[in-house]
Amino acid sequence: MDNELTALTTIFTEFYYWMTVVLMFLIHVGFCMYEVGASRYKHHQHTLMKNTLLIPLVTITWFFFGWWIYWAFPTGPGISASIMTESTGLILGGGFGANELANPTNALMAINLNDHIMGVFWAAFLLFSWTAASIVSGAVIERITTFAFGIMAIAIGSVFWTIDAAWGWHFDGWMVRELGYHDAYASGVIHAICGGFALGILAVLGPRIGKFSSSGEPRNIGPRNPWLVCVGLFLIYTGFWGFYAACNIPIFDLGPEYGMEGTTFFTATNIYVTPTTLSGITMNFLLSLAGGLLMGYWVSKGDPFWTYSGGLAGIITSSAGNDLYHPMQALLIAAVGTWCAYKLHYFVERRFKIDDAVGAVAVHGYAGVVGLVICGFVLWGYPSSGYDGYAAINPIGMIVGAVIMFGLLGFLPGWILAKILHSAGKLRIPRDVELAGLDYNIMEQARKDERAVASTNR
Amino acid sequence: MATVTNWVEHLTASEVAGSVYPYVGTELWWVLAGIIFWLWWTISTATGEAEEQQKLARKKHGANDYKSNIPEW
Repeated sequence: MDNELTALTTIFTEFYYWMTVVLMFLIHVGFCMYEVGASRYKHHQHTLMKNTLLIPLVTITWFFFGWWIYWAFPTGPGISASIMTESTGLILGGGFGANELANPTNALMAINLNDHIMGVFWAAFLLFSWTAASIVSGAVIERITTFAFGIMAIAIGSVFWTIDAAWGWHFDGWMVRELGYHDAYASGVIHAICGGFALGILAVLGPRIGKFSSSGEPRNIGPRNPWLVCVGLFLIYTGFWGFYAACNIPIFDLGPEYGMEGTTFFTATNIYVTPTTLSGITMNFLLSLAGGLLMGYWVSKGDPFWTYSGGLAGIITSSAGNDLYHPMQALLIAAVGTWCAYKLHYFVERRFKIDDAVGAVAVHGYAGVVGLVICGFVLWGYPSSGYDGYAAINPIGMIVGAVIMFGLLGFLPGWILAKILHSAGKLRIPRDVELAGLDYNIMEQARKDERAVASTNR
Repeated sequence: MATVTNWVEHLTASEVAGSVYPYVGTELWWVLAGIIFWLWWTISTATGEAEEQQKLARKKHGANDYKSNIPEW
């Protein structure tokens, strides 16, 4: 940085991403509160620890290989040539090569006075990864082993979501180039994939004991503390502001980037380096939230859990196109997605006996898929990129994209991994432990301690 | 209908159009759709709320009856 303007832009960008990380931390606080509130008393501590442990597990694996995958896999490999290397192989070198940017043994992956962005950008993506694993965590509470969940968290948080991000959430991704895939705030690349992954696990894991009657009728279990669930969801909304901000590049001159000679156009951009404004997406975020809340309240007849979840589902549905939608479009799209998510949740629960304890498959998976499909129609014909040779946004590309996100990179890996862990006897806790409660020993010891202390005090 | 079909052409136009959302020019219709949604929601939830409360009122529960319904999950 040899002049004040460059320094200001660089350090503003560094601080901008740093703030997004802090805000996104609240998503995880919210998820922890939400899951503890949704679980029963006898499972509280294990539920909290399961969700907490994904933080270190995903963080270290994201450092080892998750970030590397994002920068190495935009071409597939083997599907479409990179605009940077003009090769369909893994991107391993060159100015934007994974080796230079994200190889954990490289000098850039540490404090480096010549680089102010890599670390905070790595961290912003890491917080997306935590979110990915946390979405799955809620669906499987009270019966998955901590070991199995740790494997699943690493798989979705540091492998499968980062592959889909390289494919469809990268300016050089093959899905953007070939399909015209557009997913500005991650309806598919975070939410649909994680919903699909959770559904794949649930299909093998099975329901909690007592969830279905002998005739197959579903019953409600909990939540133990609905108010903790609601505050948790409120915190997830709060963290979502950081999520939206982190999906943008805050200041960028598109003139030289697009090869427009003599043109200077400073703007914020989305992850695809196409222009948007933080101001506009703020309106769209709030109108999406409003549409989801209104529809969630209406469709659930005032149930607080589904009203709050509806707000989240609304944001998730509109997220794919919230960089371009009009606020009223965001409102109505959010309402449609929330209605679909709620109806599909109960349809799948009854028809396939799927016990999704917190509605994660519906709120993230179904709402994400609906959001992608609607985006394909509403943004039909818009350029997916400012660079030459990219397909325009279109319904077929977005539907194929939704299938890739929810099915190919979500449901299928979740189902296969669950099958492997199940066959090894490592997926589900023993029936007697589930009945007694995962925290039984801890609670028994606490009771003994309490009695011992009480007797001393007499 | 896409408002932008090529970003380079859009940004190099003699006067860059700021509005980039779909269906520019139909803002009134979108706002009307939003108002209809809001009015529909208001009427629908008000009706549902009144029906639910009438049903509850007919059961004549006592002031402390709710205490037997607090779940201990």
